[in-house]
Amino acid sequence: MLEREVVYESVLDHDFLDEIYSLPGGHEIKKCIQCGTCSGSCPQGAVMDYAPRKIFSLIRAGFRDEVLESNTIWYCSSCYSCAVRCPKEIKITDVMYALKRIAIKEGKAKKGRKASALSKNFVRMVNKYGRNHETELMARYILSAEPFNALNFVPQGWRLFSNGRLPLMPHKIKNIEQLRKILKKIDELEEM
Amino acid sequence: MSERIGVYVCHCGTNIAGRVDIDEVVEFAKGLDAVTLVREYKFMCSDPGQSLIQKDIEDGLINRVVVASCSPLMHEKTFRNVCTRGGLNEYLFTMANIREQCSWVHVDVERTTDKAKGLIEAAVRRTRLQEPLTKREVPINPRTLVIGGGIAGIQAALDLAEAGKKVVLVEKEPSIGGHMAKFDKTFPTLDCSACILTPKMVSVGQHENIELMSWSEVEDIGGYVGNFNVTVRKKTRYVDADLCNGCGACWEKCPGTRVPRKGNVHEKLSIGPTTSIYIPFMQAVPAIPVIDADTCIRFKNGKCGICAEVCERNAINYDMEDELIEFEVGSIIIATGFQTFDPTPIKRYGYGKLDNVLTAIEFEIMNCASGSTGGNIRMADGSEPKSIGIVHCVGSRDKHYHEYCSRVCCMYALKYSHLIKEKIDAEVYEFYIDLRCFGKGYEEFYDRLLGEDVRFVRGKVAEITEVPIEEAEKGKLVVEVEDTLVGKVRRIPLDMVVLCTGLEAHESLADIAGLCSVSIGKDGFIIEKHPKLGPVATTTDGVFIAGACQSPKDIPDTVAQASAASSAVLSMITREKIEIESATASVDEDKCSGCKICNSLCPYLAIKYDEEKGVSVVNEALCKGCGTCAAGCPSNAISAKHFEDRQIFAEIEGILSA
Repeated sequence: MLEREVVYESVLDHDFLDEIYSLPGGHEIKKCIQCGTCSGSCPQGAVMDYAPRKIFSLIRAGFRDEVLESNTIWYCSSCYSCAVRCPKEIKITDVMYALKRIAIKEGKAKKGRKASALSKNFVRMVNKYGRNHETELMARYILSAEPFNALNFVPQGWRLFSNGRLPLMPHKIKNIEQLRKILKKIDELEEM
Repeated sequence: MSERIGVYVCHCGTNIAGRVDIDEVVEFAKGLDAVTLVREYKFMCSDPGQSLIQKDIEDGLINRVVVASCSPLMHEKTFRNVCTRGGLNEYLFTMANIREQCSWVHVDVERTTDKAKGLIEAAVRRTRLQEPLTKREVPINPRTLVIGGGIAGIQAALDLAEAGKKVVLVEKEPSIGGHMAKFDKTFPTLDCSACILTPKMVSVGQHENIELMSWSEVEDIGGYVGNFNVTVRKKTRYVDADLCNGCGACWEKCPGTRVPRKGNVHEKLSIGPTTSIYIPFMQAVPAIPVIDADTCIRFKNGKCGICAEVCERNAINYDMEDELIEFEVGSIIIATGFQTFDPTPIKRYGYGKLDNVLTAIEFEIMNCASGSTGGNIRMADGSEPKSIGIVHCVGSRDKHYHEYCSRVCCMYALKYSHLIKEKIDAEVYEFYIDLRCFGKGYEEFYDRLLGEDVRFVRGKVAEITEVPIEEAEKGKLVVEVEDTLVGKVRRIPLDMVVLCTGLEAHESLADIAGLCSVSIGKDGFIIEKHPKLGPVATTTDGVFIAGACQSPKDIPDTVAQASAASSAVLSMITREKIEIESATASVDEDKCSGCKICNSLCPYLAIKYDEEKGVSVVNEALCKGCGTCAAGCPSNAISAKHFEDRQIFAEIEGILSA
């Protein structure tokens, strides 16, 4: 028998909206009028599970898992078109970052596996050297996210190497201890 | 004096000249009988254009005028005035419409030009036969009748009274105040409704220029602009208004009740005393009670009489009867307001069947501080709801009921959300199709509500049921709705549902409109004279409209229209006299057979039968010159001035011969 799909109120998480609201950048989220400026302006909208406007309607209705497990938050390239144009001045890109953090924390970032691997390794580079080291970042990213695909990266890697884009040795910034203190403090604040 | 006709052909920029060969038309007109002069000009309606005509009349070159330009509706008055200024009777002028009826609707230049020639020849031929008519003036009675004592009628009456004019305000309920008196708060400012309304009601009651007739209904209206004869039925209160001082002893002691004794909280909803002798609410103006004869024990079995016993001023009189009062006024303002849609026919919403499904007006009364729940939001069993759904567009934007948008529901729905959050902090769901927050401060109010954790769900509710599917739905009302922004059908369990019932024309409006000879549109509301430029006037001179009798309106718009209507009345009264149509019908008494067919045909009730002479007589003050009677008269006894048979035949011949 064909059954109609109905969503029961009991499966929805009505605290989700307040959860996002309390995070940095989430403060205007309740003021969304669902106009669609964000989705219309988003260059990545076509490949997203839900374009940004719908993400906001899902948050409001309490569809927590649908939001956190969607590819939307990982396909956001932080171009800020939506945030600049939003008539209610919602910091949409910031909300996407907030969603990424929750998704990673709760292990719901399956569709964001590659993107989160890149982000994590990038942060590791910054912690280690005070700036990015492309060669190590690429190596670590490929090993952690796409190990069986490693050989396919060789031609591209060779071209980058030939053009001097993949330095063998990392460059450390001066006084890296001070930067690490700052980053540690941020971590502490986030935990609070 | 022979006819010397001047023909003026207007280019109307390229509106006419672009499709009509003006030179050819001019040459053609020059050849017509009695035409002594033909001119063409870019815009005849402009100052220089008008001066051309005026100068030709003054110079004695012409004594009749034909202007070939746009429609009479647009500029007939303009050119009639030119004739008058030039010293020519304005009825010796004719307009040939070669724009709306010619250049705008045809493409082929040659045939369009031919048609223009035909229209001009028709006008010229009819103009030769036209006769000068004299304008007539009638005095205007400065007194005004305002029908309806809601906020529209109150505002209109006060504006006129403040200007020193006499007003009769007729209200069918025991007190003025209308719907606004039932509200607790008003959107979007959340002003206390009673606080802003009561002072106005008191002013009406005390104003020396306002004669207030409450618990009264208009029975008959005759006459015409400036001189209407009105008959009002003063329904019996069984209380002598001259003796009563509104002390309240009667309703405090009355053993009868107008509400069901055994009903639940919702069935007993009311504001003001629920006894059989009552005032509708405590701030009533006048504060004189009425006996509800249907529930009064005295009228049922003759056994009571407590109210008469306790009344120290002996104001109670069970033998009182309705009174008919006749008076004259010069103008009428209709301000009968609205009634709310009854949602019972929408079975899937369960109103009347499911406890805790309420209409907006019931919820309004529940929120009213002086209402039976003391302003507390309660379920039928008296407990406090934890979750409330508000369903928009009930009876509005729906071809099964009313096609139009009721305009106020979005905003009062938002107001409800705010009141609920403020009073009991229950969960609130707003089920809407669109949120139409168009007025001053309205969008800001919506924005505020978005921040108050109201759950907005876009989608019209499909069904309200009490049949549960899952555990959490047991004992609840369940709303089924597609959340169109998410794209999923949702089932939402709730304690209470408020139906935002739309506004519809009051059931008494059709009768009132009939009495005043104004038209009702297919939406049931009065049709205004012009949707943009004549919003307070009607097709009947001297009859004006204010508020929701014209279309659904909120309070600010109603008050604005009421002031506009009173200012329209004032500008008429101030003239003291009014010009009335000269092109009226007249009956040739020798030919009239007294068949009375015309009496019933006349849409303005202008023809009466003279019993003595045995003929029908036209009241020229009422006649609009529509010609219906002339066409309908089987004895050919009626002729319409300015539209005589010979003039019309000449016109037809003109069209055919060109």
